[in-house]
Amino acid sequence: MMTQVEAELPCHFGASGELFGIYHPAPASPSKAVLLCPPFGQDLVRSHRLYRQLAHALVAQGIAVLRFDYYGSGDSAGKSMDVDWTRCIDDTLAAASELRALSRCDCVAAFGARLGGSVALAAATAARLVELVLWDPVLDGATHVDRLDALQASLQHDTIRFTRPRTSEDIAGQWLGFVIDAKFRQQLIDLHPDPPTIPTLLLDSLPAAATHDWTRLAATDMTVTPLQAPTPWDDLDRLELAILSHELIQLACSRLRETP
Amino acid sequence: MQEHAYRFGRAKHLVGMVGLPPSLSGNIGVIVLNAGLVHRIGPFRLHVEMTRRLNACGYPTLRFDLSTLGDSGASSESQSREQLVCADAADAMALLSERAGCTRFVLIGLCSGAVNAHRVACTDARIVGAIFLDGYAYRTLGYRVRHYLPRILNPARVFRFLTRRLHSAQQVDAPVFGVDFPPVTQVRGDLQDMLRRGLKLCFVYSGGASKYFNHLRQFRECFGRVGTHPDVSVSFLKEADHTYILAVDRAHLLDLIEGWLHRNLPASTSA
Repeated sequence: MMTQVEAELPCHFGASGELFGIYHPAPASPSKAVLLCPPFGQDLVRSHRLYRQLAHALVAQGIAVLRFDYYGSGDSAGKSMDVDWTRCIDDTLAAASELRALSRCDCVAAFGARLGGSVALAAATAARLVELVLWDPVLDGATHVDRLDALQASLQHDTIRFTRPRTSEDIAGQWLGFVIDAKFRQQLIDLHPDPPTIPTLLLDSLPAAATHDWTRLAATDMTVTPLQAPTPWDDLDRLELAILSHELIQLACSRLRETP
Repeated sequence: MQEHAYRFGRAKHLVGMVGLPPSLSGNIGVIVLNAGLVHRIGPFRLHVEMTRRLNACGYPTLRFDLSTLGDSGASSESQSREQLVCADAADAMALLSERAGCTRFVLIGLCSGAVNAHRVACTDARIVGAIFLDGYAYRTLGYRVRHYLPRILNPARVFRFLTRRLHSAQQVDAPVFGVDFPPVTQVRGDLQDMLRRGLKLCFVYSGGASKYFNHLRQFRECFGRVGTHPDVSVSFLKEADHTYILAVDRAHLLDLIEGWLHRNLPASTSA
């Protein structure tokens, strides 16, 4: 009998096979499949383990899962500076189609952390998603860009990381290890996702001090559930530490198991 | 650039990405090992940039996750971590041999990846070169003089030191993943043995390794004649941090790696 890990299928998809994904099949014919939309940049690297754990937990509940990387991120083709918001949404649509084809299940929900949640929200209608679980999604792109700019600026004088301060040129055009394109930057500044039109669970683990207003996303079928421990998304001292949360996995799994 | 993902290994438990050059002309493959607990794309996607650039230069590559790291599972064998790493590396070489016809291999590893590259290079005859990023080095008298003397003589640095100590004292709940180094005599002996077997060795230290390495000449202080051997190259990228967070530092590192490979183990040569 094949183990769960052995059954995981690394795959390439998209118009010319430029997108990378890992498909986690369900043990039996599933009635639901879940698309895991990754966050961006270093958030993707930090939450890789958690996404894998979440995939395993969902499979254990009989749900098929697809993890994937947007063009220009992770193992997908393209350079980091090729990341483009519109393309990310298109990639999400392609991933949802791929998941339907692989799982032979038309009922697809999505999970996304940070900007991955924002992408899932933006792609929900076109991807015919039936439900969303969003973890600290970015709802105000301009504020998010300001925060990333501030973190990048503080890198310049980070004498714990560097033996001496770096020049402004050295740190320009990047966010925490990833080169960014001016177009993508503007796309994020303009980001203000519309409220969801499908059942949505929003998991809130932003620190109390962080600026966030979930009410602007208020929808009739949206629930906001706080996590007990705040997630240190924007803590420069923990920039290279994995983000893990058993509580999040339990809540997300519980929700995705219960709803049709 | 042509990449393909594989599930492979003796228990089909490993996941990796084979990258092929536009045309296959040699028999040298490059294998990139995990840096710490980061999955195969590497810190800030360093390993993706690295392997794609080497593919463009003619080298087949494999970046993959060792057992239980990234997307790889456990092999269910009762072996030490050291044995598992060597067995996983052997599986990686078998895959690159099957997909690209490689018979000789270069290992690249950062931090714990350098430790693992050292381990495999000690035992596997198919390894012809290794690039150790912030690999083994040991504090010497010279290190201590260079480290402490300027600090003692500079009040601003004393203040900065105290501030850092205070800062790090506040980070009590952050886990620390350290790499234990074996005795210097053992590592020196290993390196001498690798050189006797004809391996080409490249050591690159970053400013992020300043807790144990702070000058090029320290390599010779640690490893004696190994440091002057013609098949050994040592570089010190003092400005860079341990994981190359800045694009300019990554570009510098990749230039260095590409240049070293071209000079020492060209993609088009056969043996």
